[in-house]
Amino acid sequence: MTDAAADDLTGRVLVVDDDEDSRHLLRHLLERRGYTVSIADGGRAALERVADGDIDVILLDVMMPVMDGFDVCRELKKSPETARIPIILLTARDDMETRAAGMNLGVSDFLAKPVNTGELFRRVRIQLESRQHEHQLDLARQRAETIS
Amino acid sequence: LFREDLFYRLEVIPIHLPALRERRSDVPLLVRHFLERHNRKRNDLAVRITEDAMVHLWEYDWPGNVRELENLLERLVILSEDGAIDVDSLPPNIRSFISEKKIPRPVMSDDGLDLTNAVEEFENRLIDEALRRTKGNKQAAARLLGLKRTTLVAKLRRRRGASAANDMDAA
Repeated sequence: MTDAAADDLTGRVLVVDDDEDSRHLLRHLLERRGYTVSIADGGRAALERVADGDIDVILLDVMMPVMDGFDVCRELKKSPETARIPIILLTARDDMETRAAGMNLGVSDFLAKPVNTGELFRRVRIQLESRQHEHQLDLARQRAETIS
Repeated sequence: LFREDLFYRLEVIPIHLPALRERRSDVPLLVRHFLERHNRKRNDLAVRITEDAMVHLWEYDWPGNVRELENLLERLVILSEDGAIDVDSLPPNIRSFISEKKIPRPVMSDDGLDLTNAVEEFENRLIDEALRRTKGNKQAAARLLGLKRTTLVAKLRRRRGASAANDMDAA
């Protein structure tokens, strides 16, 4: 697997960023990688899109007006239906405090802006693998229940 | 002879154990658990971890999974003299992980690669990281990079000219 090729895993990534250029850049990179991309331009829009379903990974900016990335995390972690969707923070706030705040909110990974494309792909893939394994575990659990 | 019936009896519930990096949000919980477990072996003081050190453990990729994490914490608890695990107590590969994540590893695709661009991006990332670590102090950043201050300043000036048009990362 090279960084330039399309991934063999599929999935839907929600990109949440108030900056239009960032959204376009991320959509372009992720679509070229073979993922399906949804876009939200703020915290509220992100929560609405997640409620519609089938989001596998969220790439979440931190500094956004009205409802910032941490607020979005708090809301998503509140509800059991959305708490397990992996969140990757993607932010220009490249410091330990922001990392610690994300960690304490149950965030799954952290990327600093400007984004390193290879790392972006790697980080998204790790979370898609995690989703896939979780899904397999659910199936196994259902089978186990049928057997017993 | 493949005993299919036996295979299905044994393989009732195949369970794939996810890699620790896929369950990164569990790392703080595991760290606290292992600290508690290994602290029981010490009767002088309970070793604690600073939040910055915890962030480094959280962000690291753990190729050796949970076992690597537990072994490390066991070692850190035993070796700790002052009862605190700080960033400086961590092994160099974990300490440098956060910085290294930001430096792109060049990949040669089937179409080849633009060496000049690749080298330039690599250089820029290292310069940014040096400036970040020294909180923008160019003298100190130049020292980290083994450059003269004037060389660093010239590189920054050239870059500012080149990137004015296509800087998408300002957000």
